[in-house]
Amino acid sequence: MLQQLLQLVLAGLTVGSGYALVALGIHIILRATRVINFAQGEFVILGGLLAYTAVSACHLSVLVALPLATAAGFAIGLLFERLVIRPAERSGELTATIATIGTVYVLLYGHALIWGSLPQPLPFFSGGDRDVVWHAGGVEIAAQQIWVVGLLAAALAALWFFFERTTYGKAIRAAADNPLGARLVGIDVDRARAISVAIAIALAAFGGTIIGPITLVGGAAGVAISIKGFVGAIVGGLDSPIGCTLGGLFVGVLEQLLEAPFSYGIADPVVYSLLLAMLLVRPQGLLGSRRAVRD
Amino acid sequence: MAALLELRGVHAGYGRLAVLHGVSIDVQAGELVAVLGPNGAGKSTLLRTISRFEATLSAGSVRFDGRDLAARTPEAIVRDGLLHVPEGRQLFAGLSVDDNLRLGGYTRPRAGLEQAVADTYARFPMLAERRSQEAFSLSGGEQQMLAIARALIARPRLLMLDEPSTGLAPQIVEGIFELVRDLKRAGTAVLLVEQNAYLTLKNADRAYVLENGSIALAGSAAELARDERVQAIYLGGAADEAGE
Ligand SMILES: Nc1ncnc2c1ncn2[C@@H]1O[C@H](COP(=O)(O)OP(=O)(O)OP(=O)(O)O)[C@@H](O)[C@H]1O
Ligand SMILES: [Mg+2]
Repeated sequence: MLQQLLQLVLAGLTVGSGYALVALGIHIILRATRVINFAQGEFVILGGLLAYTAVSACHLSVLVALPLATAAGFAIGLLFERLVIRPAERSGELTATIATIGTVYVLLYGHALIWGSLPQPLPFFSGGDRDVVWHAGGVEIAAQQIWVVGLLAAALAALWFFFERTTYGKAIRAAADNPLGARLVGIDVDRARAISVAIAIALAAFGGTIIGPITLVGGAAGVAISIKGFVGAIVGGLDSPIGCTLGGLFVGVLEQLLEAPFSYGIADPVVYSLLLAMLLVRPQGLLGSRRAVRD
Repeated sequence: MAALLELRGVHAGYGRLAVLHGVSIDVQAGELVAVLGPNGAGKSTLLRTISRFEATLSAGSVRFDGRDLAARTPEAIVRDGLLHVPEGRQLFAGLSVDDNLRLGGYTRPRAGLEQAVADTYARFPMLAERRSQEAFSLSGGEQQMLAIARALIARPRLLMLDEPSTGLAPQIVEGIFELVRDLKRAGTAVLLVEQNAYLTLKNADRAYVLENGSIALAGSAAELARDERVQAIYLGGAADEAGE
């Protein structure tokens, strides 16, 4: 029983890592632009598909495909900001948020056109077609699960370092905190926002590549990934990076715990109801601040 | 000698709202120049037009150090050494005092920044005590000091201050004027918009009176302090407030 529980928690943390990266991406874009990007999950899929192409068509190792997909995500993020968010935002943040919903469908059908509508496999990072599995106290631990959680931790450390310890990271936070104030000290606010969006999309592509070997990549999964990441962000607190991370992990674990004992299909309604409940009862999230909701 | 800042026939405003109607002013290097005027005269708009902060120029020219500012981005203007501390201060509320200060030096080379930060803390000990606090938690006076200190870190050649003393206790106001005098001694030009006409005219080299978006009076601070209109409208209450 305990082993089973641990098994599910481990699986939950693995999927939840993907949601955590989505939630963080939503947080970063919201901070910088006041737009909620509902297409975040679609960029997860896109990153995974690009990695799939790098592996299957270019015969690269998936460990090489990972930084490539992440860098491609960064570049695509710059385009996304320039072509969708910035122009739409001239008519207001709500317009831009709706434009991100439009982006979901452009990407969804775009992916199907290029890669077909069936999900594609990505090789496991240390096993190729079959993952390496260890047994510890009756719990099966797959190497990919370690990869996912470890790479999530690495991404978080890199983000923390960038935003807390580098001048440019602080300038981006300043531009998000007060764009007018940022202009007064000579920060190029438009560029700071573009870089923020690019970082968020790079994170999504990174997430798609590390989770891909477990979930397959492609198909219509992006919408659910977006919403679950969003639920994680709301549960943890949209304005709190730590809250977003823990919230995403929590949604992953909850989903696994609900899916196993009950028939398939109960996890989604519960997770989505959680979204409503949180918005009604504690809109700032468990770790967010009141200030974030008011302004 | 060409002025450091030179405005000629400036018309400016917000969208279709015209606020300034042909304003010409000069600030020489190292000079302390004041702008007085009633509420709504366009004093803040004048500063915002110069720094390209929200207000837009529709006709006329703004030159800083011989360069036409219309062709420069707001970031480049900061790099040129023209710093604006607006009404409302525009601090980074959610960032620490230390981060606010350091970001003030965003446009300058990293070398020398540490020294500048240390000098700033020596000059503003109350900021040093609060260096890891978030800016929003400071008192009004502390926020004003932080806003000025953040601008000074960028090593301005011209500092524009918009009503730095508004809403602050008399000792703090005196502290701000002392700081402005120090700046002048160090050769930094200051363009000062103030409600406190008494202290302003006592410290400034020259002053302009802006009314309804046009310059109504201009002259040396001493001349203006003797002017009957200025005395009646701006110095009547202010002199009493200052205890004279
Ligand atoms: N951001 C803005 N958008 C539109 N109109 C504005 C804006 N800021 C100021 N105005 C208008 O411009 C005119 C001049 O305002 P400004 O703030 O320049 O006056 P001021 O001389 O600084 O007054 P005060 O002494 O009250 O600060 C006013 O009529 C004001 O309503
Ligand atoms: Mg004003």
